[in-house]
Amino acid sequence: MAIGAVIGLGASILGGVIGASSARRAARAAAREKARLTMKLGNLEKNRQKVVNPYEDYTSLSGMISNPFANLGVATGAAEIKIEQADISLANTLDTIRTTGGGAGGATALAQAALQSKKGVAASIEQQEKANEDKAAAGEQRAQQQRIADEQRMQQAGAMGKQFVFGETEKRQVKEIDRTYAELTGATQAQAQAKADQTGAVTGALGSVASIAGGMLGGK
Amino acid sequence: MEKNLNQNLFLQQFNESDAIAYDERFVSNTSDYNFRLLDNAYRNTGRVYAKLKLAVDSNKCQDETCAYELSEIKHLQEAPQLSLDFLSSLLAELSVTDDPNFDPNNDFKYTAANSILSAKPGFSKSDGYNVYLDLLQGGAQQIVFIGPAFEEPLVINNTALNALNESNTSLVAPTPDINKDMLRLLTEVGVFSPDMVGENGQLTAGAKITEEYVIMNPDGTPDYEIIDIGNGKGRNILKYDLNKIEKKVTPFINAEVAGLMSSEQDAVAAWNVYISKGTSVEEDDQMAQNANAGNSSWSYTEDLPLMQDKKVLFEKKYKEYFMNNYLKQFTTNQFPTVQADAAVFDLAEAKRAKAQKFIDDNNL
Repeated sequence: MAIGAVIGLGASILGGVIGASSARRAARAAAREKARLTMKLGNLEKNRQKVVNPYEDYTSLSGMISNPFANLGVATGAAEIKIEQADISLANTLDTIRTTGGGAGGATALAQAALQSKKGVAASIEQQEKANEDKAAAGEQRAQQQRIADEQRMQQAGAMGKQFVFGETEKRQVKEIDRTYAELTGATQAQAQAKADQTGAVTGALGSVASIAGGMLGGK
Repeated sequence: MEKNLNQNLFLQQFNESDAIAYDERFVSNTSDYNFRLLDNAYRNTGRVYAKLKLAVDSNKCQDETCAYELSEIKHLQEAPQLSLDFLSSLLAELSVTDDPNFDPNNDFKYTAANSILSAKPGFSKSDGYNVYLDLLQGGAQQIVFIGPAFEEPLVINNTALNALNESNTSLVAPTPDINKDMLRLLTEVGVFSPDMVGENGQLTAGAKITEEYVIMNPDGTPDYEIIDIGNGKGRNILKYDLNKIEKKVTPFINAEVAGLMSSEQDAVAAWNVYISKGTSVEEDDQMAQNANAGNSSWSYTEDLPLMQDKKVLFEKKYKEYFMNNYLKQFTTNQFPTVQADAAVFDLAEAKRAKAQKFIDDNNL
């Protein structure tokens, strides 16, 4: 036991010092391992790939939904022709009355007939306008329903996307944290065990320290 | 720096070789290792302790409070435990110099000090060495090494050593077990499936990189490379998408390096012993001494803390070391997993068939 002679210790104390020395190295190694794992975990978390939201490219198409019946034109051209025809017909009839020496009563009847004809034309236009308004309203209702449906689809997609991102991130975090936590726990336990071994070794050695202290007190 | 390296290498070589056993002068003389550190340190403490005690008991202290005497008595009572703690702590530090992968760029004086404390041949009192433990006033202790290997006495104070230990710093930097780290890293880089990892946490004997990284033909079959195995025969080997593999493994290697950098002195040791020269594992193993870096070594006194450019260089070289020494074996000469494709075949015929396929595929 040459090292005993170097230090000047009996075998029991020397065993304690050497045991404590080994335990110290083990504790240092465990502390380093713990620091290494902590840094490694930090780096993995900092640099990990972003979780992709597969729904993030969804866009609302509601802008593309329009009411094709909103601005339907009324067929006034035909009505104008009809009125024009009625006017020509009235003028021709008036000429015939003048030529044949017809009276004022005939002219009045003719004027009323012309009026009736124009009223008919107006009613026809009114009917077309009403039909168009109905179509526009129905079209608008359908367009609104489609816009609402599309907004709902967007909101749903957004929510599902967020849920996906959260879920994936959570899954990965938990996995990494679990793994590194297990390793860190191992390193912490190793460190604690090594420290306990160290204390045990020194305490054991101190039982024999009387030989040192004895020398000291012996000179009293 | 180079002088220190050479002195350390000499001491290591001296301790490892049996040369001294064949030195008749050494063999014929007494080797006295009775340094008796503690005996000498505590030789007069009994008298001092008694004087202090008497002064207190007889009211003959330096002042009426006896503060000095009481304080010194307390220090003397605590001294034995402090000495044991100091010695165990110092032995733990110095024993690093005995590690097989010890970096000789550490201060050679610690190698010499360890040689004295562990009573190695050639470091006895008869060889001119001595070591003292001094109990200092105020309770501190110091150990002093002197002898031919020291130009100046090596003095280590217990309070300084404690402070270093408390902050997880070492007198002597241990070299990380890079081989162990890289074998573990292989299982973590994500190119092997979990079932390729054995119970010991390392890759199993027949481990292969997953098919995801094998280069495939448009029809989904592996795009083999044909190798000549002699006698007109050939075999298929798998081709790997090395860029894809590199992209996959890089973040894990970077994380490993970040972990290593948690103790920069360990990174310096790894650089000096393994990483710097980009040598192969075989070359490192065959190296008689751990002087890989040689004159491009990083110094513990001048290069710590590591500057950013050195950290970047370390990361680059560490990655190269891993790719070349550990991962490459899994991307070269890998036979097909499909039994039929793994068979030996006639080389000329296979080459003809491959040429014909190329002509057919390209409508030539």
